[in-house]
Amino acid sequence: MKSKRRRVLMTLSTSIAALSALAGCGTGAAHSSGTSASGRQASTNEPTLTIATGVIGGKSPQENTAFANAIGQALHCNVKLISMSGGSYDQKLMAMLASGQKIDVVYTEGSTLSELAKAGEVTNLQSEIQQSSVLNDAKVVPQYEWNDIKLSSPNGQGIYGVPVKYQGALMPIVREDWMKELGLQQPKTLNDYYHIFQTFKQKKGAYGLTLSSLYDIEPFMSAVGVKNGYVMQNGKRTIPYATPAATPVYAWLHKLYANGLLDPNFVTNATSDERNLLLTGRAGMFVYWDAWVPMLNNLAKTQGLGTSFDAEALPAAADANGNRLVSMGDTSVFAIPTNAPDKALAFKFLEWWNTQPGEILGSLGVPGIDYTVTNGKYQLTQVGNSENMDHGDPEPISSYWKNPFPQLQKGYANARQIGEQEGYQPLIDANWSNAQKIIWQYGDDAILGKLSPEAAVSQMHAALLKLHYIDE
Amino acid sequence: MELLRSQTITARRQPLAASLSKWRRAVPLYMMLLPTIAYFLILTYYPLVHSVLISMQNFNLIGNRPFVGLQNYRNVLSDPNFWTSFRNTLVLGGSILVIGFVAPIIIALSLNEVLQQWMKRTLQMVIYIPHLFSWVVVGGLWIQRLNPDGGLVNAVLHVFGLRPVQFMSDPNLARWVIILVSVWKDVGFNTVLYLAAIVGINPELYNAARVDGANRWHEVWHVTLPSLTRTMQVVALLSIMGVLRLFDQIYVMRNAVIEPKVDVLMTYVYDQGFTQMNIGQATASALLILLATLLLTLFTRRLVQFDAM
Repeated sequence: MKSKRRRVLMTLSTSIAALSALAGCGTGAAHSSGTSASGRQASTNEPTLTIATGVIGGKSPQENTAFANAIGQALHCNVKLISMSGGSYDQKLMAMLASGQKIDVVYTEGSTLSELAKAGEVTNLQSEIQQSSVLNDAKVVPQYEWNDIKLSSPNGQGIYGVPVKYQGALMPIVREDWMKELGLQQPKTLNDYYHIFQTFKQKKGAYGLTLSSLYDIEPFMSAVGVKNGYVMQNGKRTIPYATPAATPVYAWLHKLYANGLLDPNFVTNATSDERNLLLTGRAGMFVYWDAWVPMLNNLAKTQGLGTSFDAEALPAAADANGNRLVSMGDTSVFAIPTNAPDKALAFKFLEWWNTQPGEILGSLGVPGIDYTVTNGKYQLTQVGNSENMDHGDPEPISSYWKNPFPQLQKGYANARQIGEQEGYQPLIDANWSNAQKIIWQYGDDAILGKLSPEAAVSQMHAALLKLHYIDE
Repeated sequence: MELLRSQTITARRQPLAASLSKWRRAVPLYMMLLPTIAYFLILTYYPLVHSVLISMQNFNLIGNRPFVGLQNYRNVLSDPNFWTSFRNTLVLGGSILVIGFVAPIIIALSLNEVLQQWMKRTLQMVIYIPHLFSWVVVGGLWIQRLNPDGGLVNAVLHVFGLRPVQFMSDPNLARWVIILVSVWKDVGFNTVLYLAAIVGINPELYNAARVDGANRWHEVWHVTLPSLTRTMQVVALLSIMGVLRLFDQIYVMRNAVIEPKVDVLMTYVYDQGFTQMNIGQATASALLILLATLLLTLFTRRLVQFDAM
């Protein structure tokens, strides 16, 4: 009798254990890699807008909630902001979409947008944009932005995303205070650049230039008029970095390396290493985004790196005809998945993001947390100061936009002008990530002197051709 | 005749009844197994079956996923990058396997000879600590240590008047760095296993060996090492199962120059799936790796006769 009862109890307890284990499986965090912030108390009579993003939002879960709240208040809806910061955003987004998660708005970039559009996974917004009083205003979104976004459309037809911010361009950023102190002129040619690096090395004991592999050497390739990414020639895909035209620049970079003017850690550097080297005075120049010029200046102030610190952008090296080239960034966009539950509300958000309230939220941040307004006068809080006016849209595209803190924009106007004058959008296709590996591998070998520039280019070209990443 | 028939029936019934009662007694035990079975069914075998399905689809994130049969497998097997990664996996995995198998045995035997307990424990802890760190930390640490400018290793070389070495931008050197760093990180874990096994060896065996005139070396060779055979078999099996799954370290430590020599099968899967969004092909290659791991494991079990122990 006793043993029977014990058996029954054992059976029951093991069944309960089994069931509880199974129940535990079903309640895992839906977004283990990110945080999900719901703006306001769920209201039954208001629709819900779900936004997946990597860089848009607050810098903490609490601020994310306030950020979602601000969007919800503006659009009269409940906002679920799925924030996936900390790298590998594309991977997390894909995993989420593949798992069947329904999202109204996804943040993504041109190369990924191209894949999503090709697979029919995002909505063509062209007709809605044409009918929109906000997005169809060329002062809000200039035509070149739509042209860049169209590059991600299948066969260049249709528009599958709306820009999130002014993406900017990659350009040389130099210690301008050193330039002035050492009486150096703005460089025009590769020789001028070489002279600057040499002077930095001699007088400041710093590397003239630091790189992160071949990210980004376009301002120097500009000297021979060679473009980054793909270039179509008679309908055939070519990569100019893998042609003899690029050889002199690889030779020049090797000369920098051999003479100790280029940071020898360039092969393993991350871009954060480059920034730190510039900030700490161990390198005089690196190539980075225009928006980072004021950020570097502000960082130098807040981190007590000396009052003399002054970062400025420089134009690219000019070719024989005086033309200069810098790479524009891969356009950041908001897209609407084809299975979005509320496409109308999603589009309303895309419009609102490009109006002043949206631009203020994306740049300054959340009122009361990042800034206050008294009698129309904006004041950044301590949090706002530390977050550097970047909540996903540090530099709105709209020409109506005026940053209320011009004193914190040191160097930006000049940098943006360089981007607008010399910038172009590199053509990238689905094979680019594989092709880029080969370019960087042989390019680095040329800079390190393991291969002659001619041999590096020849082998690079042969490898790309063999794997069908280029047509000629 | 009738009697014979009834005896036969009884004889048949008795085992049936006995086995039924055995079953009844075992029910709670089988119920105890339920959570484990459910765990494996839901979290291992269902995803596995689902991934077989995905590997035969042109996988779109949203919308239609047309069936393409074995096309993804054909694409993988005709991709030169796959075979390059395969070769690298064999070289790196094989080297890590061999060195990582021998090193902890040598270290465990050496530590066993240390007489001061505090010294023994300290050394054991120092060797074990790297195993606790993530590859992000260990990879970053070694990249920094091996930097030509500011790296500790090159600073030491400089003291001896030697030129800085570009460890992480020379593909052949980087391969050795990957192998040795991998061994360095995990050697402590296996050392602890061997030390635990050494502690469990019957002291009488050593006494008997000494009576037979064995010196310290003879004791190690004829008593300690044979007694570690079963632990060696376990370590070998676990290590072999991990050979084809090298990923974290490579992902953290690779760069453009060394990728052709250090990219492995799992980085190939990652690049296909996440960089190029080619989910079908990535899943196909992942399943091929799984199949290879299974075959390798079965082969190893046969070789070391793991089940016969």
